[in-house]
Amino acid sequence: MAQEIKKVAVIGAGVMGAAIAAHVANAGVPVLLLDIVPKGATNRNALAEGAVEKMLKTKPAPFMHSSAAKLVTTGNTEDDLAKLADVDWICEAVIENLEIKRDLYQRLEKVRKKGSVVSSNTSTIPLGTLIDGLPESFQQDFAITHFFNPPRYMRLLEIVGGVKTRADALGALRAFGDIALGKDVVSAKDTPGFIANRIGIYWFYIAMSEAIAAGLTVEETDAIVGKPMGVPKTGIFGLTDLTGVDLAPKVNESMLRLLPKSDAFVQAYDPNGALVKTITKLIEQGYTGRKGKGGFYRARGKEVLDLKTGEFRALQEPNLASIKAARKGLRALVEHEDKGGKYALSMLLKLLSYSASLVPEVSNDILGVDLAMRAGYAWKWGPFELIDLLGTGWFADQLKAKGIKVPKLVELAAGRPFYKEEDGKALYLATTGDYVEIPVAPDAWLLADKKRGQKPVASNKGASLWDVGDGVACLEFHTKMNAIDGDIIAMVKEAANLHKKGFKAVIIGNDADNFSVGANIGYALFQANLAMWPLIEQGLSEGQNAYMALKYAPLPVVAAPAGMALGGGCEICLHSDAIQAHAESYMGLVEVGVGIIPGWGGCKEMVTRALTNKRRPGGAMPAIAQVFENISTAKVSTSAAEARDLMILRPSDGISMNRRRVLADAKRRALELAKDYQPPKPVELNLPGETGRYALQMAVEGFVQQGKASAHDGTVSMAVARVLTGGDKDITDVVTEKELLALEREGLMSLIRTNATLDRMEHMLTTGKPLRN
Amino acid sequence: MPTYKAPLRDFRFLLNDLLNIQNYGNLPGFAEATPDMVDAVLDGSAQLMEEVIAPLNQVGDLEGCKLDNGVVTTPTGFKAAYKTYCEGGWNGLTADPEYGGQGLPHVLGLAMSEMMTSANMAFGMYPGLSHGAYEAIHAWGTDEQKKLYLPRIVSGEWSGTMNLTEPHCGTDLGLLRTKAEPQADGSYKITGTKIFISAGEHDLTSNIIHLVLAKVPGGPAGIKGISLFIVPKFMVNADGSLGARNGVMCGSLEHKMGIHGNATCVLNYDGATGYLIGEKHKGMRAMFTMMNAARLGVGMQGLAVAEIAYQNAVSYAKDRVQGRSLTGTKDAGKPADPIIVHPDIRRMLLTIRAFTEGARALALWTGINIDLANKHPDPAQRQAADDLVALLTPMVKSYLTDAGYESATMAQQVWGGHGYIRENGMEQFVRDARIAMIYEGANGIQALDLVGRKLPTGMGRLLRRFFHPVEQFIQENVAGPAGKDFVMPLAKAFARLQQATAYVAEQGLKNPDEAGAASSDYLRLFALVALGHMWAQKALVAQAKLNDGAQDRAFYETKLVTARFFMERLLPDTGSLLAKVQAGGRTMMALDAANF
Repeated sequence: MAQEIKKVAVIGAGVMGAAIAAHVANAGVPVLLLDIVPKGATNRNALAEGAVEKMLKTKPAPFMHSSAAKLVTTGNTEDDLAKLADVDWICEAVIENLEIKRDLYQRLEKVRKKGSVVSSNTSTIPLGTLIDGLPESFQQDFAITHFFNPPRYMRLLEIVGGVKTRADALGALRAFGDIALGKDVVSAKDTPGFIANRIGIYWFYIAMSEAIAAGLTVEETDAIVGKPMGVPKTGIFGLTDLTGVDLAPKVNESMLRLLPKSDAFVQAYDPNGALVKTITKLIEQGYTGRKGKGGFYRARGKEVLDLKTGEFRALQEPNLASIKAARKGLRALVEHEDKGGKYALSMLLKLLSYSASLVPEVSNDILGVDLAMRAGYAWKWGPFELIDLLGTGWFADQLKAKGIKVPKLVELAAGRPFYKEEDGKALYLATTGDYVEIPVAPDAWLLADKKRGQKPVASNKGASLWDVGDGVACLEFHTKMNAIDGDIIAMVKEAANLHKKGFKAVIIGNDADNFSVGANIGYALFQANLAMWPLIEQGLSEGQNAYMALKYAPLPVVAAPAGMALGGGCEICLHSDAIQAHAESYMGLVEVGVGIIPGWGGCKEMVTRALTNKRRPGGAMPAIAQVFENISTAKVSTSAAEARDLMILRPSDGISMNRRRVLADAKRRALELAKDYQPPKPVELNLPGETGRYALQMAVEGFVQQGKASAHDGTVSMAVARVLTGGDKDITDVVTEKELLALEREGLMSLIRTNATLDRMEHMLTTGKPLRN
Repeated sequence: MPTYKAPLRDFRFLLNDLLNIQNYGNLPGFAEATPDMVDAVLDGSAQLMEEVIAPLNQVGDLEGCKLDNGVVTTPTGFKAAYKTYCEGGWNGLTADPEYGGQGLPHVLGLAMSEMMTSANMAFGMYPGLSHGAYEAIHAWGTDEQKKLYLPRIVSGEWSGTMNLTEPHCGTDLGLLRTKAEPQADGSYKITGTKIFISAGEHDLTSNIIHLVLAKVPGGPAGIKGISLFIVPKFMVNADGSLGARNGVMCGSLEHKMGIHGNATCVLNYDGATGYLIGEKHKGMRAMFTMMNAARLGVGMQGLAVAEIAYQNAVSYAKDRVQGRSLTGTKDAGKPADPIIVHPDIRRMLLTIRAFTEGARALALWTGINIDLANKHPDPAQRQAADDLVALLTPMVKSYLTDAGYESATMAQQVWGGHGYIRENGMEQFVRDARIAMIYEGANGIQALDLVGRKLPTGMGRLLRRFFHPVEQFIQENVAGPAGKDFVMPLAKAFARLQQATAYVAEQGLKNPDEAGAASSDYLRLFALVALGHMWAQKALVAQAKLNDGAQDRAFYETKLVTARFFMERLLPDTGSLLAKVQAGGRTMMALDAANF
């Protein structure tokens, strides 16, 4: 029976330690956060307390919900060490100083619970050095847990066990990291920089120094090392600004110290080279990155450092033929003859051959390396996936031509890809030279794992239905940004009829970054510009009908959102029997931003949730006013936890911390519901009508008069108010769902005829930002 | 010889009763456009065009322009007529008062330009090109450039041209070769050959201001590396006096099908001094200022030629006696009845008339929106008007010239064999009208502009400026007394346009060839609906006037009959056009080029 972690302590309330503690609290686990007593302090807990206070104001927020802060107990390492006696995992995140750490470990050993796990968040000190000479019991319970900054958002957690570390101690950390903290856990070895930073630090150095040598500008480099290589669009110079220009010398220095002379990074590093000089000069001038007054970019990205002159100049649109060629793929980029193409080839040959040479030194398999770079550096493809894009044979030939040593693993591949699919199985090339199946856990999978080798139950251009086993089907959206269009609506209708095909339950989810950004308003806008009103209203009705069919289908439906679930994407969740949300779910009814109101039952479902909430205080109006405020200000949750506040998630709805577990958890919930499933009973509401609307109208008019809202905001808000208060009914009448839907249609159709609404829609579609008019 | 009588009654109806220009008194220029002023402009310009300009039309056609040692001589009488035209202040009618113009609404300028073009299309092009140059310099020139060139262009002392086309480069301006080399003093040396330059060289003015597209060496390739330059024929001193002859020469005159009175030149630039106008490499943007105005002007040419051809076809149909009416003798006093008794003659005449009167309304509506786009105090209103003009421009250019040419041919047909004889003048209209379908962006290019550029802009925002008012008009009037006859047919055609638009947009997204295949038929369908909207409004106004006991009953009754004819005989084409649009491009693209 694996060890369970129910209570955690983090020692060291610096940026990383405090944020790790916050994330433990996000998981609903109580956590003790300790730091030293500052010299001469009256408040002995000042450091830990200050860290929590600061985090409540930090953006992006380390806490998923302000209430999570209540799970963090603050203290200090002088008075409160005894409290560690009932803690299951102690995570040390103090300053990178061997003596301080070892001294702390000695003290911990005296107070900690027997068999509790201790880990260090060190990124530079070898595990062996940390525990050298410490008691056997400590060594057995010790590991390195290496988080990435910021811990709530970066998915990688590298776990390093020592020679003596107990397997179940590691198992407990892995399980907690995976399930409770939602991390992609990678087993690393006790080597410098572990996996991600070992490759990442080399990448930073090579990508920038080679760019300077090739005579590329900052903009050109970032355009090449961005999208074409599957790297976030900050590229490499932009990323350096983001992580801090002043961080570079520090990490380089520690890696140089730890790595053997033969290592490619040590070989390549030139302390007198142009890159080191440039960075030193930037730091001297105070250009430490985005946290300061800028780095390679400054003036909010409008100016950039000229790498040749060392002066800042206006940003220039990069205009290299190789960048355009890159749209045809990575190979087209590296085979291009211009300086951009040559740079990309030279840089990638070095980076990827270095990465490939590190297996099995830093990771037993290529999976760990690729996952670490994807989860830790947000690369779209890991190094081995990148080599596959180039072709292993071609890659090896290029290395030979350039006189670079061909790594053993690449030789072993002998032209075969590192990854392939065969007989519906995903395989990778192991260090034995054989293909091995990539393991998929029954309770942690992506839809891609279920789709592999299968044909969909039904499919069109916008959506598909997949059999995910045990009588459960998954409705997958696959439009651009998963915007909901007629195709998806058609597939929603199919999903509501899946009992006829023998299914017991339906889940709705996908593997994309965003569940759905809402209805595709492009069609509606075009139709509205053409004054095709009946067609628009028909589209509206079809969406309403499909969602209603889903709600009243004879089989349970569980929505599994992750990322953005906005507008129509939120509304489909509201019509489901249950929601199993990824912790990072950003949900809300944002329709007013484009000048319309929720029209696929969003107003209806929200007012129903508010009025049937057993814990609501007082009469109908306070509840309605709350929903009104949320919808008329387009409030979006910044986490699933916050979506509970907005009543989008009900108390019975679940949250999964790990992205790979959302669908599995949703499926489990769906199967529970499928036992003796009865469709919901139609709700009838008593709404206050015009009398209730009057109060809302006063508030709206006030905002408009004070200039806090535009006249059109007022018009849109009152359209929301009309639906939520039941139109022309009064409190003694019963309002049915059908009537509420008709009110939504009426409100939306009146707004979409106005220029102000159409201007908002156009602005959103062309700029991605809302227009305030 | 053909005669011309300006359609003043129709202009007054459109300006006063349909467009209600008196409602725009708050816009600059409109306050001055009092009813008296409008009457004076219309009457004065009509008199000039009818009496001075029109009689030179056939002369110009027969004589043409002559080139002798780089000097171009215009046909007999052109120079004197141009002088009269300028002295009357007509050249600066709508121009900015700051530079000597009268600042009157653009919509009045369009009315005058229709009359001038009906009277003599080749002549009208000289001031027409000057107006394009005026617009470009006014929009993009520096204060210095404006002060130097505009007053003399406005007065007519100097004229202007636009130089785009080169021997290997027509529609695709990215292929341009004329180069502009920067000089130490900030000027450029322009070298290259431009062809098809209307009014490129002539004897009407003391100087000619050429606006020339050229590439500065080292700039971006293709269309993004084009800049616009001012190249005067004679160098201009700071005080406006003329200096040395610049290095631009007329190499030859083109021998062409029509518009013989206008000099269509090959211009050779040999290190000519030029001055950048607007931003370097942003010449296309500046050029479009000229081209949009020019496209509307060319659209007016189609309408204008159709108008004069119609007038002369009507007089012939009333005079010419041949055979008897199908329903029995109508004029027993003559050996035969006038051919106007015949339904088919009437079909042709009414088809032309339904077109010209509808097109005139559309052109003036576009004109008033140009005024709104330039002068309205509310930026949202300016944007809306600008959107509408952008949408209507390819239709005005393309449909008015297509139908204008068809009208000229139909009018010629009314004349039978005599229409084929040169001295009767009808065949000149056919020849003159033909070029308007070709230049200033061939009509196929206009159709591509409509489907490829105007439809997608702002996800259909330009369309909204047309579709919303039309839909609203239909909703408000379909149940009214004139609903059945005049609004229902529009509603049907409008629904077809909605369908066609959605089809073109959707198919075009999947495959641009589909949009291309549909484009010409789609443009015609759209233009017919636009004319239908004009006719329905006119019918409602005419009906209201009759109900109010208007004096001029025959005029309004004729309007109603012509409106009905449009609804019954022209607008139904939208049905077949929709079918063609929806047939798709598969068949068109099926054949291998080798099998053509």
